[in-house]
Amino acid sequence: MEEQDKSANSGWQAPSGRRTDEWSECLTLIAASEDRAAFTRLFRHFAPLVKAFALSGSSLSATHADELVQEVMLKVWQKARAFDPEKAAASTWVYTIARNCRTDMFRRLQKFDTPLAADDFTPDQEPSEPFAMLQSRRSRDKIHELMGTLPPDQAQILAKVYMEGKSHAEAAAELDLPLGTVKSRVRLAIQKLQIQIDR
Amino acid sequence: MAKFHPSVDLLTEYTAGILPLAQSACISAHLNYCQQCQQQTARLQDLGAVLFDGLTPVPVGDAMLDRVLARLDEEPPLSYRRADDLSLGRLPAVLQRLMRGDFSELSWKKLTSSLAISHLKTGDPGYEFALYHIKAGGRIPEHTHRGSEMTLVLQGGFSDAEGSYHEGDFIYRDASDTHAPTALQSEDCICLAVLDAPLRFTGWKYRWMNPFLQLKAG
Repeated sequence: MEEQDKSANSGWQAPSGRRTDEWSECLTLIAASEDRAAFTRLFRHFAPLVKAFALSGSSLSATHADELVQEVMLKVWQKARAFDPEKAAASTWVYTIARNCRTDMFRRLQKFDTPLAADDFTPDQEPSEPFAMLQSRRSRDKIHELMGTLPPDQAQILAKVYMEGKSHAEAAAELDLPLGTVKSRVRLAIQKLQIQIDR
Repeated sequence: MAKFHPSVDLLTEYTAGILPLAQSACISAHLNYCQQCQQQTARLQDLGAVLFDGLTPVPVGDAMLDRVLARLDEEPPLSYRRADDLSLGRLPAVLQRLMRGDFSELSWKKLTSSLAISHLKTGDPGYEFALYHIKAGGRIPEHTHRGSEMTLVLQGGFSDAEGSYHEGDFIYRDASDTHAPTALQSEDCICLAVLDAPLRFTGWKYRWMNPFLQLKAG
């Protein structure tokens, strides 16, 4: 709990622990009883984030961004039963859906004729040991806490890669940096955020 | 337990959803064998989610909410319901989707006496996605890559000058590497290879084949 207090000063506006629980609850209500009121609450919080995600890096037109918001929120409703609050935070779950829908939309726009959807890529065995799950919760809180300490150039690249959907090579071209610099900034950021797994 | 893994760079691009489709499929298949990389991608996904939470929200009007509410009773498209009816044992889901049957039901094209290839269709126009079947103890002629190559061992194993690889191991090579993989003596080896340019055999005996080794992407 102390960690959340610290993060309140970091300038990163992620929901506090309590609010995260609120979104998990909404998802659980939707799964249990197709609760439209819960969905509406969820929509008001997440739809604007999904729209921001769709528009970042101006990768999608306004029309496609709206289409993506609808698609993602509809999928949230349809897949709510697959949500397991023990395994993932609600916002990680919604983010994953948004990311997959966006990837699929990009491929559709490029006229890919593929039997695969981004959803098919989920590994067969999710990490299910209680220990791994606890680790994951800690890692999320920690990432949030440490995000504010990243140098701006590293934070910028992470945003380009994750939010704008740019490959390392595209980010390098856009920022006029050597590819090696981009890669090493990403790696440094990942080390600083303590998410690198030793092996 | 896999011993050879994708780099963090690749896993980052994979979790951000920006890796080319064929390469993503290969990484996803590796995750099926590798708890460590599953954990690493889970954490990288958490990173994405923290960034997502930190975005400045862009207002969405009530009209949009109404439109979505009106669609809630729609039947989900069939593709959301995953067909797990294939009994392909331990094969990664993404391959099961592409194969519709087991290895013996694929059409294999013989390249040498100990090597056969079967192309799978991913729809990615930039990459060839193919399974290689190397007979036990058989050798792939020495070759270089004109581009990058991802390899994932699905069954058996092989070795080259740099190491010995078994089920679940992931190897990434670029144009500068030359190697001549040899399947383990004990059993046949099947691996998945994702290439963005055709192989080029370097030994005199097989060099004549190079003009025929066209990339079959898509």
